[in-house]
Formats: sequence, C-alpha cells, structure tokens
Amino acid sequence: MDLDKLLSFQWGMMTPEFLILGTATILAVLDLFMPKKMNRNILGFFGLAGIVAAIVSLTLLLGQDTASILHDTFRLDSFAKAFKLLLLGGAALVMLLAIDYKPKEGMEEYRGEFFYLFMTALLGAMMMSSSGDLITLFVGLELLSISSYILAGIRKKNTRSNESAMKYVINGGISTAITLFGMSYVYGITGTTNLREMAGLLSQIDNPQHVYILGLAFLMIFVGLSFKLASAPFHMWAPDVYEGAPTPVTAFLSVVSKTAGFVIMMRVILSVFAAVPSNDSDLPLLFSMQDYIGFLAGATMIIGNVIALRQRSIKRLFAYSSIAHAGYILVAFSAMSVVMFDSIWFYLLAYLFMNLGAFAIIQLMTMKEGTEDISHFAGLYRRSPLLAGAMAIFILSLAGIPGTAGFIGKLDIFLGALMVDPAHYVLVSIMIATTVVSYFYYFGILTQMFFRPAAHHEKIALQPGTVITVIICAAATVVFGIMPQLAFDFFNSNFNQFIDFLQ
Amino acid sequence: MENAWLIPLFPLLSFLVLLIAGRRLREASAYAGILLTLASLAMSVYMLAERFTKPTFKSESVWLTIGDLKLTAGFEVNQLNALMLVIVSLVSFLVHIYSRGYMHGDERFPVFYAYLGLFTFAMLGLVLSPNLLQTYIFWELVGLGSFLLIGFYFYKESAKHAAQKAFIMTRIGDVGLLIGMILLFWQTGSFEYDEIFASVKEGAVSETMITLTAILIFIGAVGKSGQFPLHTWLPDAMEGPTPVSALIHAATMVAAGVYLVAATFPLFAASETALMTVSVIGAFTAIFAASIGIVQKDIKRVLAYSTVSQLGYMMLALGSAGYVAGVFHLMTHAFFKALLFLAAGSVIHAVHTQDIEKMGGLWKKLRFTAPLFLIGTLAISGVPLFSGFFSKDEILVAAWVHGNKALFWLAVTAAFFTAFYMFRLFFMVFAGEARTHMKNVHESPGSMIFPMAVLGVLAIASGYINTPWFGTFLGDWLVEGNSALGHGHVEGPAWIMIVATLVSLSGILLAYLIYVKRSISRDWLISRAPLTYNVLRNKYYIDEFYGMTFVYGAKAVSLFLRFIETFLVEGLVKTVTVFVQTLGKTGSKIQSGQVQTYGAIAFVGLAVLMVIFALTGGYL
Repeated sequence: MDLDKLLSFQWGMMTPEFLILGTATILAVLDLFMPKKMNRNILGFFGLAGIVAAIVSLTLLLGQDTASILHDTFRLDSFAKAFKLLLLGGAALVMLLAIDYKPKEGMEEYRGEFFYLFMTALLGAMMMSSSGDLITLFVGLELLSISSYILAGIRKKNTRSNESAMKYVINGGISTAITLFGMSYVYGITGTTNLREMAGLLSQIDNPQHVYILGLAFLMIFVGLSFKLASAPFHMWAPDVYEGAPTPVTAFLSVVSKTAGFVIMMRVILSVFAAVPSNDSDLPLLFSMQDYIGFLAGATMIIGNVIALRQRSIKRLFAYSSIAHAGYILVAFSAMSVVMFDSIWFYLLAYLFMNLGAFAIIQLMTMKEGTEDISHFAGLYRRSPLLAGAMAIFILSLAGIPGTAGFIGKLDIFLGALMVDPAHYVLVSIMIATTVVSYFYYFGILTQMFFRPAAHHEKIALQPGTVITVIICAAATVVFGIMPQLAFDFFNSNFNQFIDFLQ
Repeated sequence: MENAWLIPLFPLLSFLVLLIAGRRLREASAYAGILLTLASLAMSVYMLAERFTKPTFKSESVWLTIGDLKLTAGFEVNQLNALMLVIVSLVSFLVHIYSRGYMHGDERFPVFYAYLGLFTFAMLGLVLSPNLLQTYIFWELVGLGSFLLIGFYFYKESAKHAAQKAFIMTRIGDVGLLIGMILLFWQTGSFEYDEIFASVKEGAVSETMITLTAILIFIGAVGKSGQFPLHTWLPDAMEGPTPVSALIHAATMVAAGVYLVAATFPLFAASETALMTVSVIGAFTAIFAASIGIVQKDIKRVLAYSTVSQLGYMMLALGSAGYVAGVFHLMTHAFFKALLFLAAGSVIHAVHTQDIEKMGGLWKKLRFTAPLFLIGTLAISGVPLFSGFFSKDEILVAAWVHGNKALFWLAVTAAFFTAFYMFRLFFMVFAGEARTHMKNVHESPGSMIFPMAVLGVLAIASGYINTPWFGTFLGDWLVEGNSALGHGHVEGPAWIMIVATLVSLSGILLAYLIYVKRSISRDWLISRAPLTYNVLRNKYYIDEFYGMTFVYGAKAVSLFLRFIETFLVEGLVKTVTVFVQTLGKTGSKIQSGQVQTYGAIAFVGLAVLMVIFALTGGYL
C-alpha cells in the first residue's frame, strides 16, 4: 500500500477512535515521565477530556453517510454510532468514578495505568461496534478483554482483587476459545472473514450439512460471547470478579463491557446468521435458533434474580442483578421484533444511568470500609437524605417501577415480545415473575436505607466526581422515565432504524 | 376542564417544596401542605360543578412511540373521576389540617407532610388517567407513597414489617393488573379505556379473553383494596400514623381497587363469570372480615377489618352490576370511615393507648369526639337517615335484583355483624366507667375537631344525593350517556329496606345488651365456642397459613436452587475438577476448585445446547 492510497482513506470517520487512542498514548507517556510523587488525578481528568472530545466528534459525525474504510473492516453505520454513544457516555461516567476512587491500602503507584487502561478498553469496545470484519472484531474484543483483566487486578496488594483478575482471565480464555472455534466454522464454510461477504455467500448456501454446521457454530459463538454479557451459561465468573475488582472497574464491567457484549453479539449474529437459510423452513436459520436464545434468556433471568436473594454483599448482589438484566435484554433479542434495536438500545441507555448511579453510591459507601455488606446502607436516609433519595431512584428504576427509565425499558421489551407472531408469552411471563422476585432484594436495600438506624452518624464525605455522576444519572433516569420520547426521537431521527446495518 | 391536569400538581409541588425546604419550615410545613391541597380541592369542586353542565373532557398527546405503536398520555374528566377528585382532595385536605394537631411535636413533621403530598399527587393522578398504562404508573406510585407512610414510625419493628408486607402483598396484585393490561393490549392494540371498551363491544375480543383479563385486573384491585385472600396487609398497615389510616386505608388508596373495577366496568359487564367472581369475592370478604372484626381489641384494627368488609360490599355491588351502588357506597364510606379513623385518632391522642379493653367512660370526657364517633358508627351500621343506610340499601337491592340470593343473605348477615362490632367498639370506648386509670384525658385541639366536624356533616348529608325517597340524582348523573354502566336506579322490593333496618338495629341491641346492660355475658362466645373464638381472634390463621406456604415455599425454591448450584452441578463437574486438580496441584491457592467449575458449567451448558440441537436440528 503506497502513501497515496493511505491518504485517500476517509480517516475522518475514525476521529473518535483516534482521539481515544491518542489520549491513551499521551497518558501512558505522561505517566512514565511524571515525578513519582505527583498526584495522578490530573491524568484522570485528561482522560475524561479525551472521552468528552470523542463524544463531541462522534456527534459531529452523526449526520455522515454510512461508509467503510480499510477494505470494509471499519464501518461507520448508524448501528456503530448509536452504540458508540452509549459506550462513550458510560466510560465518561466511569472515569469520573475512577478519579474519586481511593482504596484504603492506596494505589498511587498505578493510578496512571488505572486511567489509561480504561481508555484502551474503551477503544477495544468502540472498534467492535464499528467492525465489518471478524478479524477487527476479534482484535477489538481482545483489546477490551485484556485491558479489563488487568483493571480487575489493579489493586495489586489486595488478594481479592488478584483472585478476581485470575478468575476473569481464566474464564475469559475459555470463552475466547469457544467463540473462536465457532467463528472458525463460519470461516471454513465461507472462506472469508468479511461480515458482508459472508452474508452474501451464506445466503446462497444449499448444502443441509453446512447449515447444520452453521447451527453448531451459532451455538458456540453465542455461548462464547455470553461471557461478555454475563448471561447463562457463562455467568458464574461475574459475582467473584465484581466483588474483588475495584468499584469503578465493576461499574465498567457491568455497564460498558456488557454493552460491548451486546454490540458484538448483534454484529456477528445478525449479520451472519440472519442470512443463512434454514433446513426446515423458509425463514433464516437465525429464527430457528430463537428458542435457544429464549431458553438461555429465561435461565439467565431466573438464576440472576433467585440467587441475588441470598446475597449479603452489595457488589455480589449487583453482580446477580446485572446477570438478570442481561437476561431481560436477551428477551428483546430473542423476540426479534421490528423494535428490537430500539428496545435494546433504550434498555442499555436506561441501564447505563441507573446502574452507574447505583455504583457511584456504592463506591461512596463502601470505599472506606473493608467489606461491602448491605448493612453499610443502614440509615443512609438519616445521614444523607439526598443520597438516599438518589439511590432510591436507581433502585426503583432497576426494579422497573413506573416513572423511571427502567420501567419504560421493560415495557418496551414486553411489547416487543408480544408484538411478534407467535408472541413470546412464556418469556414475558418469566420476565414478569422474575421481576417480582427482584423486588424482594431491591426493596431490601430500600428498607436498609429508610427504615433502619445507622450504625454511626458521621457525615458522608462527598466527592465532586461521584456527586456529578449521581446527579447526571438520577436526572437521566427520571427524565427518560417520564419523557422517554426524547430518547426515542433522538434514536429515530439519527439512526434511521439501522436500515444500513447490512448495506 | 382544560386545566384539570393542574389538580395533581399542587400536592406534587407541596412534596417538592417540603422535600427541599422542610427542615427550615419545621411545623410551618403544615401550612404549605394545607394551602396547596386546598387549591386542589377548590379546582376539583370547580371541575365537578363544570362537569354537571358540560360533556366529558379528554385531552391526550403522544407520549411514547415504539415502532408504529403510539402510546398516549393525558387526562380525562368524566363523571366518575370528577367525583373521585373531590373525594380524594377533600379527605386529603381534611387530613392535612388534622395532622397539624395530631403530629404536633414529631421530629419528622415536615417529612410526614412531604409524604402526604406525594401520596395525594399519585392518587389524584391515578384518578385523572385516561388509559390503563397511565393508571398503572400512578397505581404503583400510590403504593410507594403508602409504603413510606405506613413505615413512617420506622423505629418500630412492627411498622417496618407492616410497610414491607403492604408493599409486597399489593405488588402481588399489581402483577395481576400488569399481566391483564398487557393481555388487553395484545388483544385490542390499545391501552385506552375508550378503545378497549369499543373493541369489547364490537366483539373483537373473545369471551374467554374478556373474562381472563377482567379477572386479572380484578386481582390488582384485590391487592389494593385488601380483598380476600390478599387482605392481610391492611390491618397491619394500621402501624402507620392514624391520619394516614384515615387518608389511605379508608378513603383513597384502598378505594382505588374499587375505582379501578368501576373505571373498567364495561369490560366486567361483558363477562358474566368476571362479575360473578367479583361479587363472590366481595360478599365473602364482607362477611369474613366482619366476623374477625367482632373479636379484635385494638381500636384501629376493628376499623381496619371493617374497612376490608365495607370494601367487600362495594365489590359485591359492582359484581352484581350495581355500578351506581358501588360508587355511591365508595363515596359515603370515604366520608364516614375517614371520620371514624380521625375520631379514633383523637381518642388515641387523648388516652395514649389503642387497646379498647383499657378504655371506657370517655363519653363525658371527649365532648366533641364522642358524638362525632357516634355519627360515624350510626352511618356505617346503616341506621336510617344516615348516609350508610342509603348506600348499603342500594347494594342490597342490587344484590337481590341481580339474582344471587345467597350473596344477598351473606350481605345482610355482614350488615348485622357490622352493626354489632361497631357498637361493641363504641360502647367499650365511650360507655360505662373507665376500666383502667387514665390521667390527663383531654379533648383534642380545634385543628383536629374541625375536620371531624366537616366529615360528620358529610357522613349524614352525603346519603341524600341518591335516595329512593328524594330522587336518585347521583345515580342518574353517573350513568348518563353510557349504557354499559346499567341503570341509574334499580327498583327493588320495599321489604329490603325494612330488613336492613331491622338487622342493623338488632346488631346494635345485641351490642347494647352485652356491653352496656351486661345481661348477656361478654364471655358468652369464649365459653360456648372457644374454638370459634380462637379462630376469629387469630384472623382465621391466614397469616400463619401464608407464613407456612409462601415463605417456606420461597425458601425451599431458593434452597433447592442453591442445592443444585453447590451439589448437583459441582458434583457433576467434580470428576473434571479432580482431574484438573491432580494435574495442576502446583496451581496457586487462589484457584480453588471454583474457577474450573465456572468454565465447566459453561461447557456443560454448551454441550447440552448442542445435543438438543443435534437431536432436533435434523442431523441425527
């Protein structure tokens, strides 16, 4: 490739990625040359500025037509734009939390790493949402994963953080192996790694044996990727890793990394398997796999919500709750209604705000304590009514109580699942039933906050970054709960129903 | 009527103002709350007056677009909700005034008023909703307000439990409503009341579906209105402050269930089975709760069971196609039951106990409360010329005319019980001599007497807007322009009125003989039928039954799943684990058996899926 060719690419469409990459590089260099004693917080703010700049550049790109560069490996379509916005927004809020994160034993020596690893993980996630090729997709996935492994173990002197990172790496390795195995079948049949070419070749497939192999490949890819979603059967790492990892990392894993998981899931599965004809019906293979996705969605919702009932540690509880939420989103995915993209995008948006807001408060309440027991929340209403009020908003939204964004998200999924023919009423019933189960543990936290006396009455030291996060999240949760049309209008006017998803 | 949407906003404003400035305002918070609810009340009265002359007003706009689907939000002023607006804002206003005296000196005074504002907002919003979805949203919000108010004295263990129980119990009902609502949407493609009723009328929805959705919606009403078998939270909810009991657990929230059935009445009317269910549950609850009320010793619990029983009456009326009777009783009950609760609060305020065994002889000491309590008691007992007499008569006529004679006689028996236990309560509290020494018994301040006096007037007067003697004005107006709601007045045999009067008078007489004249021993029931007494005293052991089944059931399921997690799955992969462990004994200690388990489970999951796929996917 000569220089002219290189310059002829529309590099402008990668501006957000370049900004993040540049920020990460500068952070790494700065960290290397900064005096050891100097406070690294400035690096965090620099990283935040990078993310905000990326958001701005992405909004400027919103109007741009769909295009791809680098031999169709990098696509900027409306799907990529929509989900990159979520990823960047989530990462910005996580960065605010990370700046305020100061564990008991201290981690000044690696605070620089802490910040730029978030940036590289984010870069990986963004690459995934724009990939048009299995190779870039996989590289993005690994960039996200490897950065997250280190982040989970960043508290080097804390054994639980180490344990968490170790478990994460091992499980991540297994999941990668399974995913790759599945992808290799698809490659073997089509002989290409480009998603669009694959779709074209697969739509003409007429050998039933190949279709059968593709079915197996589908299952492997789905199960492998369910690791990132923390959904059944690859959910078991979540509680251990969430508990041991530093709280901002937990927040990152449960929101940004999960969103990235859904992004790659939709990219691969919808573009590849929606094209494969089925052996026994006129519909694509994807539709005959609906039952499997539905089954795993049901299992995920049940496991997450039922086991959450017995948790005492707030972070483990949120781990199971995040498993359950992955299950809810999978319901929308398995229904494959016309509003699938709207509902998944909106749910992830709502989930981003309600979950990050909750994690901001969890970080505030547990950072100074050695443990994460729920009882730290006792009497929060007495100690700080506004914090308790904000936490109540997040909890109510997670539980799906009307007036919050979480309710609209769930309602959207319900309606989507009932809109299709045949309606998925079994899944909807499981979803309603497990939502009811979730009331028990969510309201346990509410009871702690409002109806129990506090163990000690000292004021809670508020930190600016955390407070900003809480305010943004609470406002967004309520605004999108009362006026969801704001989000849907934005979605419809900018992303045009992802009509260019496969073009 | 274009401005009706402002009505709920005043209490919301009160909530927000008190949330922010409550600490500074202290007890002056009461004035903010009182003024803002007064504004709501004034507007509601104006709306009602306007609705007499103008047709129903409805305003809606698109709230949410999902695909091609447009969900709307807005408000509607029809006869039913114009009436409800006045009832809710009036009782709320009076409770706001009353609480100034009752809650005086409480350190969380502003918080109490803030919660009252939130609750009133939710309740008024519920009443104005023109579609099921919006109703559901406010329905949940009402539950939240009630949760906060019941648990207001959170330092009391019992209050905390009661709040939780109320929340969970009503939530079980809410799920019924949610499913019913979604099913209706699935069938008719709309959440709008009008459109749903239109589809039902056209026959677009199958008979079984109508019955099913109506019953599911009724389950929601059962939870909120404390009907059997989800009634157990309501008596426990008496742990909340007494003004709350008057507002929420007498006049507004518990009536929301009845309101919901009334608002979706055309749906119920289309299914005989659904109506039957409503009337049977209603009649059974009426007699069941009344029988428990006979032996309770706590003044508020007696009233709580009486509320459950009266709500059962309303359900019976609606189930007997007596739309007007149900709504009429909803209104009169709101007034006389709120009066009774406020008067009970005044008694508790004076003697600092809720145990009626310890009271007695208060007639002379509480010179305002006592006669007002008597008015409420006469009204609820159905003594002629009081409001309860007329509305109860309407219900009995509806039950008789609708044809189910057994339910009619159940209702008559329940009326006898009601008169008996209410006068038992009255005599034990006010008649005779004090049974324990009480010092400093004093009448409550004017701020508490005034609301009671207003309600006292209404407890008598509100009956006269719908009587067989002076015209059925309310009934004719309520059903005007909507044939699905039935007739404004149902003619029944005249003897029903006489029977009702006799029954209520004999209940009073029996109470008089036992508790004042003492010509029948009080221990009569205990000595003759100790078993019955104990069953009644323990509320038919319903709570114990739930404790046994649900709680243990949930525990068992959760244990079972844990068992699977820890033993079955781990046992299954034990072989793998052991193998890996012997191979990698050098592995660090952190890698306990668990990580392998996680991976193994993913593998097993994948394998199971693949085997299923192999078996069903056509290869084998």
